Amino acid sequence: MPHFLRTFFDQTINGLVIGNIYALTAVGLALIFGVGNLINFAHGSVYMIGAYVGWVCVTQLHMPLVATFGVVAVICGLLGMGIERIGLRRLQNSARIAPLLATIGISFVLDQLVQIIFSPNPQSFPNPLPTTRLQIGGVSIGMTDLLIAAIGIGIGIILFLFLRYTKIGWALRATAQDRDAAQQMGVDVNRVNQAAFALAAILGGIAGMLIGLYFNTVYPTMSFQAGLKGFAANLLGGLGNIPGSIIGGLVLGLVESYGVALFGATYRNLFAFVILIAVLVIRPNGLFSRKRQAPPEPLTGTFIANNKPITLPVWGVIALAVIALLLPFFVGDPYFLQILTNAWLLGMVALSVTLVTGTAGQTSLGQAGFLAIGAYASALLTLRLHWPFELALLAAGLITAILGTLLVLPAFRLRAHYVAIATLGIGEIVNQVILNWNGLTNGVMGLTNLPPPTFLGVVAVLPHQIYWYSLILLLLGALFQWQLLRSPLGRTWRAIREDDIAAQAYGINLNRYKALAFAASAFIAGISGAFTGHMYTYINHETFTNTTSILVLTMVILGGMGNMLGAVVGAVALTVLPELFRGMADYRYLFYGLALIMMIRYRPQGLLGSI
Amino acid sequence: MGSAVLSLALLAGCVVPAQPGAQSAPTTGAIYIGVSGPLTGQNARYGAQWKKGFDLALDEINGAGGINGRKLEYIFEDSQSDPKQSVIVAQKFVADPRIVVELGDFSSGASMAASPIYQRGGLVQFGFTNSHPDFTKAGGDYTWSNSVTQAQAAPALADFAITSVGLKKLAVFYLNTDWGKTTEDLFNKRAVELGGEVVASEAYLAEEKDFRSALTRIRDASPDGVVLISYQADGALIAQQIKDAELKLPIVGSGSLESPDFLKLGGAATEGVLIRGQFLPEDPRPEVKTVVDKYQAKYNETPDYFAIHAYDTIHLLAKAIEIGGPTRQGIHDALPKLKDVPSVIYGKATLDPATQRVLNPQFVDLVVKDGAFVLWDGKTGKQ
Repeated sequence: MPHFLRTFFDQTINGLVIGNIYALTAVGLALIFGVGNLINFAHGSVYMIGAYVGWVCVTQLHMPLVATFGVVAVICGLLGMGIERIGLRRLQNSARIAPLLATIGISFVLDQLVQIIFSPNPQSFPNPLPTTRLQIGGVSIGMTDLLIAAIGIGIGIILFLFLRYTKIGWALRATAQDRDAAQQMGVDVNRVNQAAFALAAILGGIAGMLIGLYFNTVYPTMSFQAGLKGFAANLLGGLGNIPGSIIGGLVLGLVESYGVALFGATYRNLFAFVILIAVLVIRPNGLFSRKRQAPPEPLTGTFIANNKPITLPVWGVIALAVIALLLPFFVGDPYFLQILTNAWLLGMVALSVTLVTGTAGQTSLGQAGFLAIGAYASALLTLRLHWPFELALLAAGLITAILGTLLVLPAFRLRAHYVAIATLGIGEIVNQVILNWNGLTNGVMGLTNLPPPTFLGVVAVLPHQIYWYSLILLLLGALFQWQLLRSPLGRTWRAIREDDIAAQAYGINLNRYKALAFAASAFIAGISGAFTGHMYTYINHETFTNTTSILVLTMVILGGMGNMLGAVVGAVALTVLPELFRGMADYRYLFYGLALIMMIRYRPQGLLGSI
Repeated sequence: MGSAVLSLALLAGCVVPAQPGAQSAPTTGAIYIGVSGPLTGQNARYGAQWKKGFDLALDEINGAGGINGRKLEYIFEDSQSDPKQSVIVAQKFVADPRIVVELGDFSSGASMAASPIYQRGGLVQFGFTNSHPDFTKAGGDYTWSNSVTQAQAAPALADFAITSVGLKKLAVFYLNTDWGKTTEDLFNKRAVELGGEVVASEAYLAEEKDFRSALTRIRDASPDGVVLISYQADGALIAQQIKDAELKLPIVGSGSLESPDFLKLGGAATEGVLIRGQFLPEDPRPEVKTVVDKYQAKYNETPDYFAIHAYDTIHLLAKAIEIGGPTRQGIHDALPKLKDVPSVIYGKATLDPATQRVLNPQFVDLVVKDGAFVLWDGKTGKQ
């Protein structure tokens, strides 16, 4: 067989095997999205727990492989039902964003529990299968490859039969199509939800166990990437579309494998997300959505709850600002001031998110990308062109506004959750470009010796100086945003959020207004990123990661969607909370997760309520 | 706008608000080291290893009566190795008069973001895992490290692969972090000087698990050996997948691979892997054997480099406290004077005031044999 052909076949097998795992994860997410209209952030954690249960059965209890799969299925199934109980059922009739936040909290708790019980060290998972490889015309296939393929195909068939021919399968499909109608016809939607969560968790758990076998390792932090890739595969095929998810998973696996083969492993995620966005641009509802499908639900129903927000009169807000400004006179502790400085800088990012997500209805999970652009822009302007900090800071905001808007431009055709994943992809792409564009960004080495922030030539390095500087930037950002929201522009954004089709019918050019929203958002985020970079004096591609994007969205949901004061309150709460739990050492993030679940349980519409 | 004008004036430094009074370190009770590192999150496992090494060293020091009769203790604050949190921890330590010296953080991003705060606070930041070439340069005179830089380790690895093992056409896998990238650059440079040739170079990210695609490319470049510039978990995965792909090539690895985890995770696939390392638990030298035995008795497991390096670092700092006294300034002044401090890893460690790093570190060559690291006899696997 010619050389390149052999290479091609090898890469294809790699891609299909990994794709199978992505598909199993994606199908679970699709099931849950179908019945609950919920992106389950805890799905990756279930996958990780499946891997650990498998590891315990095989290496500690020495169980045969078949029995192990049974145990994994039972435990993960029960776990799925538990997640439904805590994360969905009690929050069902409240704000529809609440369950999403609850699943984020649950994932923190599960990840930390496993880390505490089994230690953070990766565990070796020796493969009990024979290591002989089948040679078929120069291409070699391992036993694990075959096992994964067999399980993937087997589960696909079982799932098809289940959904097609069983009563609960019908109920599941009916609920996914129209929840209220299904309920009216006597379907017990709670049971259906529970079944969907259980089934999804079983698939996720088995996928986790298979990946443990395939790579011979399990470790507590394997959950995040798994959830991310499953989510991407699901979107590729069409949200909630089960056959689409399977194909989406396989396509993603293949694309990554070919991408790595051509350009190297560093480009894996870059490839995955570029392809994802490209597909979404051509087919905004995923590869396999039917043409005549009803448009995906606008964010209105999903993210904006019907409730009375807590509003503060203008003098109240001014009073709060004055108190914040005077605080360093009473509390000089630099530790305390640094915590609040971080909160003000993240508060700016939260404002920028609540602008696009809460007001204009475009969920952004890519804000870390804007932070990184701002930080690198200002760093390069000061380091290479020797611009003064003040000028570089402003320029960083403008550059981020322009670059950020251009990057998000392809996502304007998308709606609801598709915008979320597209922006997440954009954030990821920004980091990958920073990592690989050595000439401009100094690659993995990062940029060193950023000059500290200055104000009119005076260096601001002391804790109270940094505190005031960041607070004033936050207040200016808020004032800017408030002015925008009061103007006709703000009304137009809200109109797009409420009903984009109606808005379009009134002659509103959607793309132009979405671009304005993203430009304003990126401007504020870019300035926050630039200031943060100069405060750190060192930045690299890991300084602003997509976990920051998720953290900031969490702040916004917690504070109340579209609520500017809520965004800042959310930022303060989630910056202070981990510090309060500092005494608990390893248990710190376990309590953080529990606190998130509790808060959303009692204030599902956000602390200050959505606007 | 009145308040804004006032605060701008304050920002410019016209008025200085309430500051905690400048406190000096207490002169009785325990002496405290502040540790900023990951106890939760992606890198939690490194923090866990550190703790074991610290505790063992402190058992010895405090068992022998402490430093001038005062106990040495540490306060470990979790930063998740995230700059957002490491700067908060830095402020906390600087404001805490009990802390006389700081250790960490783990990653460059988290450590270097905190450096200016330590520098201004006059608290030595001893970044014992920081190999980023700019770490001590960018920080200032309060930023020190006893971690080997790539400028020392990478050429030594090339010497080993080409001169000692006798490889000519090399395929290199490297972890795409500042550590991996610098090592790879310096490795390649030295390899070419020695007459070797790097026929394939594969970068990968820390979260990468699937090397099968990259291995297919490496196979196509037909090298006569593979060089791993990797950490334990990823190195083990690569070795595993090299074996699965039935590529029968000798593997030479960086010292970072040397850990029981590498053997445990990589299993039979690690057999015959050659490493130019820094530490071998089975090393018969008495200074190594005593410490390893103690570690095994305490934790019932074999220590890895990270744990022993943490152990060494505590002893080094104890020496600095002994010489300079238990104050921030005392330790700062004592570090350049540290000469030939007994060390498990370096034999004897001397800090170089010019680079603020350790001078002439020594290396040890090993091979994996029957599932264990043994000293390399200079013949096994030689090409």
